[in-house]
Amino acid sequence: MAREKCCSIVNLLLPPGVSKLSDNGAMAHRVLLVEDDERIRASMRLSLEDEGYEVEEAGTGEEAIELQTQALVSNPFDLLVVDIMLPGMDGFECCRELRKASAVPIIMVTARTDTHDVVAGLEAGADDYVTKPFEPKELAARIRALLRRARAGEPGLVQLEFGDLEILPEAGVVRRSGEEVHLTRTEFLLLCELAANVGKVLSREQLLERVWSYDYFGDGRLVDVHVRRLRTKIENDPSEPRHVLTVRGLGYKLAP
Amino acid sequence: MRVDGVATAQASPEPTALPTNVPDPAHGPQKRRLGLRARVTTAFALGALALSSVLAGIGYVAVRTSIVNQQLASMRHQALANAVLLRGELRVPTAYIPALITTLDSGPNTDSLIYSTKHWYPSSATLSPRQLPQALKVHVLAGSPAWQVIGSSGIAQLVVGVPIHAQSASRSENAAYFEIFDLSDLTRTLHTLLAALTLAALITTVAGAVLGRWAAGRALRPLRETTQAALAIAGGRLDTRLESAYFADLAPFASAFNQMVDQLQERIEREARFTSDVNHELRSPLTTLANSLSVLEARRDELPPRALQALDLLGAEVRRFRRLVDELLEISRFDATPGDISRDEVTVGSLVEHTVQATGADVPVRFAPGVASQHILVDKRRFERIFANLFENAQRYAGGVTLLAIEDHGDSVRFLVEDAGPGIAPEERDRIFERFSRGSTGRRRGLGDGTGLGLAIVAQHVNQHGGRVWVEDRLGGGSRFVVELPAWSEVVT
Repeated sequence: MAREKCCSIVNLLLPPGVSKLSDNGAMAHRVLLVEDDERIRASMRLSLEDEGYEVEEAGTGEEAIELQTQALVSNPFDLLVVDIMLPGMDGFECCRELRKASAVPIIMVTARTDTHDVVAGLEAGADDYVTKPFEPKELAARIRALLRRARAGEPGLVQLEFGDLEILPEAGVVRRSGEEVHLTRTEFLLLCELAANVGKVLSREQLLERVWSYDYFGDGRLVDVHVRRLRTKIENDPSEPRHVLTVRGLGYKLAP
Repeated sequence: MRVDGVATAQASPEPTALPTNVPDPAHGPQKRRLGLRARVTTAFALGALALSSVLAGIGYVAVRTSIVNQQLASMRHQALANAVLLRGELRVPTAYIPALITTLDSGPNTDSLIYSTKHWYPSSATLSPRQLPQALKVHVLAGSPAWQVIGSSGIAQLVVGVPIHAQSASRSENAAYFEIFDLSDLTRTLHTLLAALTLAALITTVAGAVLGRWAAGRALRPLRETTQAALAIAGGRLDTRLESAYFADLAPFASAFNQMVDQLQERIEREARFTSDVNHELRSPLTTLANSLSVLEARRDELPPRALQALDLLGAEVRRFRRLVDELLEISRFDATPGDISRDEVTVGSLVEHTVQATGADVPVRFAPGVASQHILVDKRRFERIFANLFENAQRYAGGVTLLAIEDHGDSVRFLVEDAGPGIAPEERDRIFERFSRGSTGRRRGLGDGTGLGLAIVAQHVNQHGGRVWVEDRLGGGSRFVVELPAWSEVVT
């Protein structure tokens, strides 16, 4: 029941037609690929173009930020794929810089799956990650899932209020004590998902499935790090959260 | 289904195979020696006891001699003084001796006897001349003074006899004066002294033992700290060093130890760095391969048959290569960061259901009553790897899994993966969980794309969950792999 309720909100946020756009060829999504290895970059470009994306390339973090800054004014990217191991400015730093100006979805590419790299990447602002050598289909699926939820701003939803927290789903806006808080799309959707089930505990699996479209075996660290990031933005004291509460051994819930 | 045979299935060589007359070194006739600390303590205690006993003994003898001599001398002087006084009195012919005796200056515990004109005059009625030692009496009456310490009925007494040559008109016989001093005060004093000295000796002994224990503890402290450091290092805390002030006297030892750990750490870090570098270097070209392959495969229709055949071969090998790299990294990651595991609390039922679904294997599942709703704390991804590998192993060597049974064993949950294959020889049951071990006959590398790491990864993941894995015979042929994981409890979280 609650699942249906939450879906109703997300569905309103993300009308079903949106993700189909690129498949129809009507409007290809623009993807910026940040990878220093030329051959990897070229092969990824080929396979991403096969999936129907319009791909731009950057060989360094600095170049990526420059391209993104230019693109923001004219033709913004829909998504960035950023390799962690970059010469000069590394992927983490690149993510942090990009996040300063934009909530664009970022997929981090890492050659390691140990906790340090994954968590550091997510803390830096990445929405999701894939591990080299990923199957091209896997990356395509992650991109699709992110783009699907990157669409918001459809009308029809009422304003939600939780104490000093104000959520305006149709505008994609969150305010704390009247001041707008800048959330990434993933953080925003996570908050909406929790808000749609206010007072009810959502397990990490449920959140992974609904926000990231992962199956049962998704990486729970995604949820943990995003909750942590969300808290630093919407809580007065992130170490003593009032809104997003941890229910030990079960998951998270939003306090009514 | 019975699993009672489980414990023995894992046990290595049967104890009964050993010749029975060989003495077991662990339980042989070897004498149990006291620990160093106990021995040092004992030595200190014994030393303190010996020293304090000797000192107390010497002290006692010296004090005793001095006190006794002093006391006896003063008593003799008193008797002599009384005798002199008496001699004067006895010159008076009318002297009435019984009255005279009461005038003598004697202490409260002193009795006197006067012998005069062949008569005995005691100072108290209970006193009789028979109480005097015969030899002393004879000696004194013969005309020379004498003294003797006697112990009558357990009470020590000093008897002093002084002959009196009283010469007067009427009496010119020999008289004598005897004084009996009670020595019980002196004896009591000496007893008290002895008791005090004994107590002092005992206290010294105990103090010696305490000191010995403390000194031994202090002396052993560096050893204890070294032990703790070694355990910490063995447990993965490689930055542990011997630094406490207790090693001030053991600087060469501590620096040698620290140097050893430095080198160990450097070596481990170098290996971890190497692994990480190899990791990255292998993954990068694999990423290119995988992406290029997918581009080619998307254009299968455009390829001539020979190119298609080559593409399929390429695809299979790339996937196998990728898998090998993945599994090698999975293994080496464990070596580098053994504690890197993220656990979730899940129900056994949903976990098994999702796992079987994810592996895509057609496996019959049987839950023991109640176990499906039980909670368990696992890293789901690793759990999935465990069973994907076991299923694949069964598929490759034993014609597939015949049953996945889940049993509740109180504080653990057992997952039994059964097959109807040829089974595994007892001597190989431990070895198949080692890296790159493919067993011997019948388990040779065939056409398959096994890496030889599957079961090693299984063992590693199970260990990381604090569980056990082993293989045993299945009733009716085939093998049964048993994965035992600790059941969820509040304590674990």
